[in-house]
Amino acid sequence: MRKKSTKLLALLTAGITAASLLAGCGSGSSDNAGTSDAAQESAASEDAATEDAATEDAAEDTAAEDASSNEDAADTSADASVYPLSESGTLTYWLQLNGNVSANFTNLGDTELGKKWQEDTGVTIEFQHPAAGQENEQFNLMVADGNLPDIIERGWVNSYPGGPEKAIADGVIIALNDVIDQYCPNLKKYLEEHPEIDRMVKTDSGTYFAFPFIRGEDGLCYTVGAFLRQDWLDDLGMEVPTTIDEWHDVLTAFKEEKGATSPLCFDYANFKMSNPFAFAYGAGSASSSFILDDNGELVYVYAIDGYKDYLTTMHQWYEEGLIDADYATLNGDQVTAKMTTDEAGASVGWAASRMQLFMTTAQQNNPDYLLVPAPQPVLNAGDTPEYGFVENNFPDVGAAITGSCENVELAARFLDYGYSEAGHNLFNFGTEGVSYNWEGDRAVYTETITNNEDGWPIAQALGKYIRANYNGPFVQDLNYLEEYLQLETAKLCPGTWGVANARKHIMPPITPSEEESKELATITNELGTYVDEMALKFIFGTESLDNWDSYIQTLENMNLSRAIEIEKAALERYNSR
Amino acid sequence: MKGKMTGDRIKKDFQRNWSLYLLVLPVIVFYAIFMYKPMYGAIIAFMDYTPAKGISGSDWVGFANFSRFFSSPYFWRLLRNTLLLSVYSIVFGFPAPIILALLLNEVGSKKFKKISQTITYLPHFVSMVVICGMIKDFCLSTGLINDIIASFGGTRAPLLQDPKYFRTIYTVSSIWQEVGWGSIIYLSALSGVDAQLYEAASIDGANRWKQTLHVTLPGIMPTIIVMLILRMGSLMSMGYEKTILLYNSAIYETADIISSYVYRVGLIEQDWSYSTAIGLFNSVINCALLVVTNIISKKTTENSLW
Repeated sequence: MRKKSTKLLALLTAGITAASLLAGCGSGSSDNAGTSDAAQESAASEDAATEDAATEDAAEDTAAEDASSNEDAADTSADASVYPLSESGTLTYWLQLNGNVSANFTNLGDTELGKKWQEDTGVTIEFQHPAAGQENEQFNLMVADGNLPDIIERGWVNSYPGGPEKAIADGVIIALNDVIDQYCPNLKKYLEEHPEIDRMVKTDSGTYFAFPFIRGEDGLCYTVGAFLRQDWLDDLGMEVPTTIDEWHDVLTAFKEEKGATSPLCFDYANFKMSNPFAFAYGAGSASSSFILDDNGELVYVYAIDGYKDYLTTMHQWYEEGLIDADYATLNGDQVTAKMTTDEAGASVGWAASRMQLFMTTAQQNNPDYLLVPAPQPVLNAGDTPEYGFVENNFPDVGAAITGSCENVELAARFLDYGYSEAGHNLFNFGTEGVSYNWEGDRAVYTETITNNEDGWPIAQALGKYIRANYNGPFVQDLNYLEEYLQLETAKLCPGTWGVANARKHIMPPITPSEEESKELATITNELGTYVDEMALKFIFGTESLDNWDSYIQTLENMNLSRAIEIEKAALERYNSR
Repeated sequence: MKGKMTGDRIKKDFQRNWSLYLLVLPVIVFYAIFMYKPMYGAIIAFMDYTPAKGISGSDWVGFANFSRFFSSPYFWRLLRNTLLLSVYSIVFGFPAPIILALLLNEVGSKKFKKISQTITYLPHFVSMVVICGMIKDFCLSTGLINDIIASFGGTRAPLLQDPKYFRTIYTVSSIWQEVGWGSIIYLSALSGVDAQLYEAASIDGANRWKQTLHVTLPGIMPTIIVMLILRMGSLMSMGYEKTILLYNSAIYETADIISSYVYRVGLIEQDWSYSTAIGLFNSVINCALLVVTNIISKKTTENSLW
């Protein structure tokens, strides 16, 4: 009897377990929709990366030229598309919904931009968006499943393992050379006029794979830098620091005189290698782990001597309490909180979505609150900065047509709209008379954007009408940024942060072959886990920098030299494109 | 001959109890579709799988993915972290709901009992993301836990940046989250213990403590054993959600477990076959552990799953 009841109980508990597993799954997926702070933050900031920048004058001419020479393009090859297109249809379009849009909309099709985009082209679009922070997972599941929408917009060079060549070989997306030639006069013309960019947006074998997001000017590429409290500097009688030593003195003064508990405060997840202090030692990198050193030699940034010096300084600052104690776990919201409440005095980030935002928030309580951008610091006073943050003009976001798309021509003509004059204005400025007006040859945003009646921040108001504050299949215009940066000191950012030689040291978007990239991925995955872990250990002092040699040895054991070999080969092929 | 007899027996049984078979049908279909069919996909562990070629078109690579994992510099660390976290959660986490149930059982006031039960199982219903967000906030150098430490004169330190605290944080927070929920099954088992036994024991002069030891615990022992066996079976299958929500690269040393590694490799890096191989390795060990525990339990307590 007892035995039997045990059995029953066993069955029952098994049932409960199964049920709870199911429940677990259910709640799991709803959790995903909410996602962790960190994930959301990183997603949001990725978009934000595409957001700020700039100097020099407008990229507007490109738009004008586009229009004037449309006819030539038509002569040479493709028949110009007349919008709205005579053939209408429905397409599915998968992309990450930017944080500034998702704050108020659940679907890009509901925004004014989405509506006008469809109206102007005459194509009906069903937008599909992955949950915030789940972009990669959901994309990968979609690929594994084989059930693809017509258009997918995301990164292909770095985010698709094996790169665009592999994505085409896998049948996920199609090669666009013929398509662009036949149906896309606007993009074709732009690429013909900009050979440098043309080289970036195709693979070694010359294959086009996506309708790229392009930063039209170098001024749009200096998006990240350091900024600090000018009002504190004035109180202390100090100048904006230009060297690492001056930074040390300023941060110490912030701590001792101003009572800042975390004088320098930024989120490690976003800026672990792209902060100006790393660049001061020639050990910074905007995205890749590989950079080109003083001699133009390709190096693994985590293994160079400059990186060791950088870690030494960071460790010292951490020990002295100049860097936030929770450095590794901070997210953007926590940084905002500390920067706007006098707990922190200096930070690293984007001009608009961070610095300008901090100022507008903090000035409500403290009218004297003022942030200024600091130039890229150097090691010795009087030196000219050599390394600095700069993004590629093609920041690896593009809309690709998938292997499942049945009406390739329609999709191509629809996407080509972004490179036409009308499309250029729509994506950069929105709807004329509603979100912007022409003043001479400059577009100026209206009150709808700058002083939104719903009380939305500018970034969110822009998100309703344009896409220039993140990305998309079009050419970003400097005019957008100059209007977006409203505060005097924020306008200084691109000019202050820009480093003339920075571009010499970054890796272009190279594309290793399918075979190579598989091997490369295996090596860099292992390396990545290790260097991430050791970086923080060195900074926190849980691992002594005396062990640097064994650190380098471990990297070698993980086959670092092979990874460098592959990268070098791919770089050579890129240079000979 | 024998087969025919069994066939007849099933047929007869079906005619008599067809309604019961009908009842169980959805469950069987569920298992077939959602549990057994996906197992077919596990064969990609022995392949160099690419979605474009599909399972039938991908190349076989034998045990290459397994040997890659075993020779990975992270293999031992992942195994150790997974095992230690599981062992901690069993050693400390398994008895916790039993103790809570026993304590609640002794509470006289019905109202108090109900309230404390509700409070203790409340965290179970809060989403994991929220729970982990709270834990992260508590563990900041300016967080709640450090406030308490500082008020006793200790020094503030960011807890989630130091590898030596991760296992404690993980285990304690799991207990906090699941103790109330876990105690429900024991409470129901406790209500099934015959009241006459307590009477008899108290007549024999047993005090409350002795009654607990000699009447209550043996009474719920079958439940405990079954729960333990089930728990052992999932020893290695630590969910990745909590880990990836809590960890950062500074504490990989103690925090990175097999499932979080599979997540990073498989879903982020698209290395499908490799991550499937690791997952399969995990399942095989789980299965072995389940069988071993069952045998031990059968030998020592006469209670077992099968």
